[in-house]
Amino acid sequence: MFHLELLVVGLIWGAMYAMMALGLTLVYGLLRILHVAHAGVFALGAYAGVLTANATGSLWLAVPAAIGVAAAVGPLIYRFIYAPMLSRPPYVALIASIGLFIAMEDGFRLLFGPYGLPFDYNPWFVTTYSLGGISLNVVQIAMAVSTLVLAGAFGVFIAATRVGVAWRATVSDPQMAQSFGIDPVRVRYLNFAIGSAMAGAAGLLVGLLNNLVEPGMGAVVSYKGLAIIVLGGLGNVPGAVVASLILGVVESFGTVYLAAVLDRDAIAFAVLIAVLLIRPRGLFAPAR
Amino acid sequence: MLEVEALHCGYGALRAVQDLSLRVEAGRITALLGPNGAGKSSTVMAIAGHVALSAGDVRLDGESIAAASPVERTRRGIGLVPEGRRVFSDLSVAENLLVGGYVHGRDAARARESRVLALFPRLAERYRQRAGTLSGGEQQMLAIGRALMADPKVLLIDELSLGLMPAIVDQCFAAVLDLVREGVAVLLVEQNTQRALEHADSVVVLVSGHTVYRASGEESRRDTGLVDSYLGLREAG
Ligand SMILES: Nc1ncnc2c1ncn2[C@@H]1O[C@H](COP(=O)(O)OP(=O)(O)OP(=O)(O)O)[C@@H](O)[C@H]1O
Ligand SMILES: [Mg+2]
Repeated sequence: MFHLELLVVGLIWGAMYAMMALGLTLVYGLLRILHVAHAGVFALGAYAGVLTANATGSLWLAVPAAIGVAAAVGPLIYRFIYAPMLSRPPYVALIASIGLFIAMEDGFRLLFGPYGLPFDYNPWFVTTYSLGGISLNVVQIAMAVSTLVLAGAFGVFIAATRVGVAWRATVSDPQMAQSFGIDPVRVRYLNFAIGSAMAGAAGLLVGLLNNLVEPGMGAVVSYKGLAIIVLGGLGNVPGAVVASLILGVVESFGTVYLAAVLDRDAIAFAVLIAVLLIRPRGLFAPAR
Repeated sequence: MLEVEALHCGYGALRAVQDLSLRVEAGRITALLGPNGAGKSSTVMAIAGHVALSAGDVRLDGESIAAASPVERTRRGIGLVPEGRRVFSDLSVAENLLVGGYVHGRDAARARESRVLALFPRLAERYRQRAGTLSGGEQQMLAIGRALMADPKVLLIDELSLGLMPAIVDQCFAAVLDLVREGVAVLLVEQNTQRALEHADSVVVLVSGHTVYRASGEESRRDTGLVDSYLGLREAG
């Protein structure tokens, strides 16, 4: 029972990682940029959510606020930070991205204080359900359900719609895709909007689960996100989802069995190093 | 149909092609030959709109397309089978064809797809398979099929036979000859000079970006020794 509970909690945490890592791996697949500032978008979603919830008294309104703000800011980051740098070597965009992430963190600190903002009213945090003997609160259930729904919807979109096919064609060969009438810039905007929307949702859920939205909440997620997309095979979307779930479960068991030797947040890197020793290209083949 | 006039193009300071003129007529094949680095692919990509002209003009049915975007050229009737095939490796055969037909909308695409599958029955067998898992020959068929989905008047084929088994080369040539009989104009870049000369209606040989030989198909078939010498084949063989 105890192990089952660790597994379930790990999978749920992994689901949150997946929501976050999806945007990262999509950006990498399309532009070969490590989008570190994605973690800033994650925190931004959480801030938009907590501010809306505390102003309106409604957690439900926090959801569209978090998703909407993140989905709007992601494409702006592309437009004003990455687009002007695409002709430069990829590390230029990486440095800009790290810079933007730090600026966002400090911006949150200046605007909303160093200790973060708690939710004034968070019924989802305190309402728990017992499922097969495992007790989960509403936020945890929402993490699992929203990842299933969002990842499933994204899978259908990318596999079965005309726009999804155009998107994959652009990832595969942008110049040829353009030749056949696919506008690569529109694909990039869509990519940033969808990836950021998911990061915003993940940020809100993490904020709800900790009952706190704080300036540094993106930092841990940012390096774990990088570990996940490397493990998943850079740019490989299903690979990133599986790597997220594995990391969530390993962390969950690790906090019990490895607590004496490893901090929870160090486990991602222990796993990363161990896997890269055996499979230098990650668990799954990189895109292309 | 397609006229290239005094085309110059390059990459920064590098001049890849200088003062090239050629014509491709409906239902005819113009072969563009030359040793490695001669500027054949650059010419093809300049016609398709992926390499900027520094001087000269490209006309389709008498109208200049030199300022048109790559999509616009696809829409107007330029079909590209690029060097290295460049099929969308992560997409299925069906999806590659779908993208090929994007410029003309859904209904037109359906009709064209059945023609492409009739021309290359292999693609029908592999319809749901990822393009990246196809053999080289099948990828070449797919690259041609994808270009045909946009209903081109002119087909630019950069290396039809490179790296393919002889039986597959025969199939690909047979398909191209079918298209030519239907009235498609073909600009054919080939390493396999013999095959190209066999079918060409006119021949242009480039060396280091300069046109060194130009003749009708018949003339060139009498001059094979000369053509080979430009390509460095006589010395090598
Ligand atoms: N993208 C590019 N950037 C810079 N230089 C290039 C580029 N593509 C080709 N070149 C150069 O332009 C010249 C012509 O190359 P091109 O590929 O057109 O020749 P080619 O005749 O197609 O040769 P091959 O038979 O090897 O395919 C060469 O000197 C090549 O190095
Ligand atoms: Mg070439």
